[in-house]
Amino acid sequence: MEAEPIDLNSISELIKKHQDEKWGLIPLLQEIQESIGYIPVETIEPIAQALKLSPAHVQGVVTFYSGFATEPKGKCVLKVCRGTACHVKGGKSVLNIIKKELNLEEGKTSPDYQFTLETVACLGACFLAPTLMANRDYYGKLSPKKITSILDQYGRLKGEE
Amino acid sequence: MENIFFNINGQKITCPSGTTVLTAATQNGIYIPTLCYHPDLKPYGACRICLVEDKKSGRLMASCVTPAMQDMAVLTDTHRILNHRRNIVRLMMAEHPESCIVCGKGNRCELRKIAAQLGVAEHGLYRMPNYKPFEQINPFITRDLSKCILCGKCIRADHELVVLGAIDYNNRGFRSRPATIHETALENSNCTFCGTCVSVCPTGALAPKYFRHAGTPEREGDSICGFCGAGCSLSIGVSGQKIVEVNPSPYQGTVNGVTLCVRGHFANDYINTPDRLTNPMVRNKDINLKDEHVNVSWDVAMETVVSKLSEIKRKYGPQSIAFIGSSKCSNEENYLFQKIARVIFGTNNVINGGYASGQMLLSYIEKKTYGTCRVAPLSDLKQAEVIIAINADTSHTVPVAGYHIKRAAGNGSFLIVIDSERTDLATLSKQWIRPLPSAKMQTSFADLINLICRKILKNKSYDQKFVESYTDGLDQFAESINTLDENKILKENGIQEQELKKAADLINGKIVAFVIGPDILHNPESIRTVDALFNLALITGNLANKGSGFYIPVAENNLVGAFDMGVVPDYLPGRRLFSFDENKIILEKQWQVKLASEPGLDMLSFIKGAESGQIKAVYIMGENLIRTLPQPQRVEAALGRLEFVVVQDIVNNRCTKLADVILPAAVFAEKSGSFTNMEGRIQTFTPVALPPGEARADWQILSHLAKKMGYPEQYETIEKIRQEIRRIVPMYERLGNHRQDWIKNNDFQTPFSGNDHRFLFSSVTSKSTLPIDESYPFTARIGSLRFHLGSGTRTARSERIRLYGKKGEIEISGADCLKLGLDVCKIIRVKSVYGFIERGFKTNTDLPAGQIFIPMAVNNNDVMNLINLEQLRQSDPCAAKACRVRIEKI
Repeated sequence: MEAEPIDLNSISELIKKHQDEKWGLIPLLQEIQESIGYIPVETIEPIAQALKLSPAHVQGVVTFYSGFATEPKGKCVLKVCRGTACHVKGGKSVLNIIKKELNLEEGKTSPDYQFTLETVACLGACFLAPTLMANRDYYGKLSPKKITSILDQYGRLKGEE
Repeated sequence: MENIFFNINGQKITCPSGTTVLTAATQNGIYIPTLCYHPDLKPYGACRICLVEDKKSGRLMASCVTPAMQDMAVLTDTHRILNHRRNIVRLMMAEHPESCIVCGKGNRCELRKIAAQLGVAEHGLYRMPNYKPFEQINPFITRDLSKCILCGKCIRADHELVVLGAIDYNNRGFRSRPATIHETALENSNCTFCGTCVSVCPTGALAPKYFRHAGTPEREGDSICGFCGAGCSLSIGVSGQKIVEVNPSPYQGTVNGVTLCVRGHFANDYINTPDRLTNPMVRNKDINLKDEHVNVSWDVAMETVVSKLSEIKRKYGPQSIAFIGSSKCSNEENYLFQKIARVIFGTNNVINGGYASGQMLLSYIEKKTYGTCRVAPLSDLKQAEVIIAINADTSHTVPVAGYHIKRAAGNGSFLIVIDSERTDLATLSKQWIRPLPSAKMQTSFADLINLICRKILKNKSYDQKFVESYTDGLDQFAESINTLDENKILKENGIQEQELKKAADLINGKIVAFVIGPDILHNPESIRTVDALFNLALITGNLANKGSGFYIPVAENNLVGAFDMGVVPDYLPGRRLFSFDENKIILEKQWQVKLASEPGLDMLSFIKGAESGQIKAVYIMGENLIRTLPQPQRVEAALGRLEFVVVQDIVNNRCTKLADVILPAAVFAEKSGSFTNMEGRIQTFTPVALPPGEARADWQILSHLAKKMGYPEQYETIEKIRQEIRRIVPMYERLGNHRQDWIKNNDFQTPFSGNDHRFLFSSVTSKSTLPIDESYPFTARIGSLRFHLGSGTRTARSERIRLYGKKGEIEISGADCLKLGLDVCKIIRVKSVYGFIERGFKTNTDLPAGQIFIPMAVNNNDVMNLINLEQLRQSDPCAAKACRVRIEKI
């Protein structure tokens, strides 16, 4: 399955909206990220030209923030907490289970663009350890059973189907 | 600004408020180590090596970004600070590859220096090297980013000084590294290889690509770059007698600061070419022997020159000899050269190659301004509120001048560009007036500027005080400007009326600087354009303000000096018009001779004279006429008809092949002298290496010649020539006093000493429309890419430039490529009325349809075959670099 083709027209409209703002770059990048899920590298040059910045500068901003991705992500982005409290409570096993269940390495996206697996240093929800975040929702006090149900909830394709 | 008082290490310090602690300390001789700080860059505070301690609070602060405060007490080398500094260095070392022994930075590495100062030998930490691929494909810059310490100097220099934006940080934290867009190699990015990043890199992460010599040169010496008119200060590294490295000189107040361009930084390796002339030679004309050049001693060579030239002078008269000087040779050499011609040989036939590439503009502006605008420091550009750049592609011709313009534009000067091509400046400009390319051949600039003038006059928003007190002829000018047909001009150029109105409103009441690209000379009737600009300067009162004035980014290092020294047919030394008898009398008195009354020949008449037999002999110093002039075959044939040809040059070329006597000369780095740059800055230099073999400095050869000719005055030292220049050329009275000084402007009041000397408006004349031959539908602009200078006699001999392998593809707009169906054939033939060339091509989306660009200097500069020699008219050497062509597939 392919990632959906990007609609460059919608991007140029976003660019138009922000090009005369004084600090338009980050709001613009956020909107692009929001609307298509990532920032295609081929949009860097048009963005730079419109905002009168150098392309290298725009690329620098895109790659600096982890909130911006240059590759398409899955529909569900899983962020497994690797902080100290979660580690003590078995965060590593949580990660391993997900890896195994989804057959996915850290930082990778499944071929069907359903899941992207990431780790973060701390989600700031240590009282719920071990935790993970799926898109914008927190899940705490995880157990293997809970993990599989979360994965199912986010549309994991069953092996047999 | 008010002063503040504080103390560092107990020492009382006074400094203006706003000064950083680091600057104040440095100014008071207190040393604080730094890695990411550079005086030409904005403080950044990245490396934390410059930590100091606030005595009262005990806080540690990076001194480069901490402003000094009243009553502050700062400590710079307590035990605690030293410990912190050591730890920072240890962490950097733990990440740094242990490759010092093979690192070309050698003992110049600042990380190593600071580690030594702090006594860090072993870092004693777990090693975490951050290996990155080593990039060394291009022949200029190698990148080994595993040695990067993230000081950001390269990125900041790229953004703040060169204003290019080729690199920026990618990623974050441990993974972050300077990167080009899409992390491509430098040669695939928009990097111009100016090498500024290399000059500022504290470690070996960025280094020049080494060929024959790697590492620290044995010694370094200062010189002035011999390529373009910017006149950058160089620090040249020498090992043995070979020049192995070039860097910007460390002095403050130079034109270039820490920047250079690809030519100055990397192309000076031409000096080591095997083509260098190392021995005086004469041609064997004995029929029993082979016709070839044989090595002789200097004495024999000079004897031959003296006896042959004297014989020709006796037989055919002094006017049968021509002297071709050089806009690449020094002031002293050019002065002596024209003196030998005028005084010893009695001819005014002195010419140099720079006339068609800027001296004409120079002489015209000199005439119009009565010598009050000779000096135009590039650093003043930042005080200009508006900069109008006309037809100036500085990023290729005079890059360092371009950096100044771009910096000013980045700091708030309003840049207006009038050009049909998307140049570097056009991209950065606030307003880009883009006439249609067909207009390039048809004088659009003058009309457009005149229309702007008319709008300003109509609004009565011109500088009335300036006009009343300093100028004459406004009424006539205003009348003539009203005859212009606005609608017709706008339509011809494809310009909207609002664009001109916007420009007129912007210029109104502002300090305006005018940048006139030497490319303007490619435009027929370039004089009309300069007239129009001059009128605009007068009505806006922009002649005497700081930041206003005329900037001509000329393509050759001593084009201004050669003109000032009188190596031109219509001027005597000191920009004295030959046609004024008064001037002749002054010099006759000084030189104690009677000058020939015949004015000198210009380049075109010289070639015609050689063809007709009127000229019998020529002495060429540092000019490669067969490569630089249009119609090279015609020039070669003309020189071949001469009875006697002396060529004094640095490398073998097509002119030396024809020569009867060849005199080997030294390059700039091997001699003493002075160059005058485009700003009017006179810069002296001394040798850093010895010339190869028997080669000698041009001035030494000339002084030998003068002596052999029996001239009573001896020029044994460069100082002797300078003394004479200072005496005879008042505008050079400061020559040689300092490393750099300025030529003298005429006093701004001078024009008003007599009534007839006020600044005069030029009336607007209608242009003479050139008929366009439709069988040649394209306008070809012929110009240099930044890798070559002019015809490329020197740059084509640079090993690095050769390895870079630019083939000089003809650039054609995408639309024209499609129209001509060019995507299949690899080589095309470009034909003009005068000749044709065959080359590869590529599309350039920045070019407008109907225009092509042909780079000079490649393939022995064959592009000159397309142009007509007759275009080099002295009065208006226009269109020497533009022609109409057609494109054929082969």
